[in-house]
Amino acid sequence: MVRGLLCVALLFITVTARAETWPDTDWVKGPPLSGSAVEALETYAFPARDDATRQGIRTDALLVIRDGQVIYERYAAPTTASTPHLTWSISKSLMATVLGVAYGDNRFKLSDPVARFYPPMKQHPTVTMADLLHWASGLDWQEDYEYAPLKSSVVAMLYTRGRSDMAEFAANSDSFSAPGQAFRYSSGDSNLLSAALKGMLGHKAYMSYPWDVLFQPLGIRNATWETDADETFVASSYAYLTARDLARVGLLMARDGRWHQQQLLPKEWVAFNRQPFAHYNTGQDEAVPGGHWWLNQGTPKPWPDAPADTFAALGHWGQALFIMPAEHVVIVRYGDDRDGTYRHNELLKRVLAAVQP
Amino acid sequence: MIRRRPFTSLFLLLLLALLGWGWHERVNLQAFPDIIAAYTAKEYCSCRYVANNPAQYCLGYVKQYVPTSAFRDNPQRSEVTATGLGRTHTARWLGERQGCRLTP
Repeated sequence: MVRGLLCVALLFITVTARAETWPDTDWVKGPPLSGSAVEALETYAFPARDDATRQGIRTDALLVIRDGQVIYERYAAPTTASTPHLTWSISKSLMATVLGVAYGDNRFKLSDPVARFYPPMKQHPTVTMADLLHWASGLDWQEDYEYAPLKSSVVAMLYTRGRSDMAEFAANSDSFSAPGQAFRYSSGDSNLLSAALKGMLGHKAYMSYPWDVLFQPLGIRNATWETDADETFVASSYAYLTARDLARVGLLMARDGRWHQQQLLPKEWVAFNRQPFAHYNTGQDEAVPGGHWWLNQGTPKPWPDAPADTFAALGHWGQALFIMPAEHVVIVRYGDDRDGTYRHNELLKRVLAAVQP
Repeated sequence: MIRRRPFTSLFLLLLLALLGWGWHERVNLQAFPDIIAAYTAKEYCSCRYVANNPAQYCLGYVKQYVPTSAFRDNPQRSEVTATGLGRTHTARWLGERQGCRLTP
């Protein structure tokens, strides 16, 4: 009888374990997408490319995962499956994911003032960790890149006045609003999160923390995360991952922060990531901010052709990681779009058409 | 004065406004010429030594409307130096995890 029960239990475990595919050293290849919908996708994502004029849609990598298996993968030279591609602002959501592990380890609460972990923020003593994660610090920040380089806070932070200590540069900003009351997308907020994490861990543990708690557990072997001269990770901009490795983070998020049997991120953390910021006004940005991730919520939806539960990490020049939990789909799109022709919604529409049987 | 020399007056007024704006933006204006050299050195370094893309591709990748007047990639030291608008900046590859950084 006992042996019989044991057998049933074992069978149950085996069956449930079978139902889920996880990448090991490499991704498992599923049945590849084919048909006219794939041609329509490729016509959109991979038109003939001109590196001299840099015009039009310039996809460097497109990877589609369903149920933990690769069902579509294509690269445009010189990017390959082994290229650690610049993710730009996808880095912000990666920092949020690293912070999720620290959160699960009770290293901070969302209501904690940032100044507790990063003393230069004593200039803005009431800004909390949650405010930074919502891009709602109230700090007066200008996020333009190419179009207003003189006034751009982000250009000054990355390349000129702020580059030796980016978090301090952000902390020295004036405020334009009370913390937590208004959304303003800010790379400064993201780098303040990075500096706060350093304050929680100490310099030595911090320097290997993203690898120790996130990259290695997920089997990511080639990650680069550049730092400023103060050795703070440039959480706003400078993480580099292969498309296949970024998809591992996508799969972690699609499965609510769980990797195999291990709950790497608390479920409540992922729920916070996916909860829209209450004081966001429609149209302020290209998608709805959650806790340092982007959501497809509200009316109209930012990407009308994608399901409402879609969420994403997005970066400059067309970088994107999309997660569609109900569809069990993860999409990585790397690009080098120098003009405005590329549209996330159009890509998602065509991927979904190709994925749906 | 204004009625007798309308153009001179307008010119002086504009000059005054420009000087006022220049003073107001003095910190930004002083840093501005550094952008192109710093951007080129840093992003070329990462394109070449972090993403391991070919040198020729990386030169195209970092190209901006404002040209650089000098550029040197030293593969032995994984060090990239660029000059533009009279300013020179250098970025160096530090290692697998830390990638490239502008030198102070």
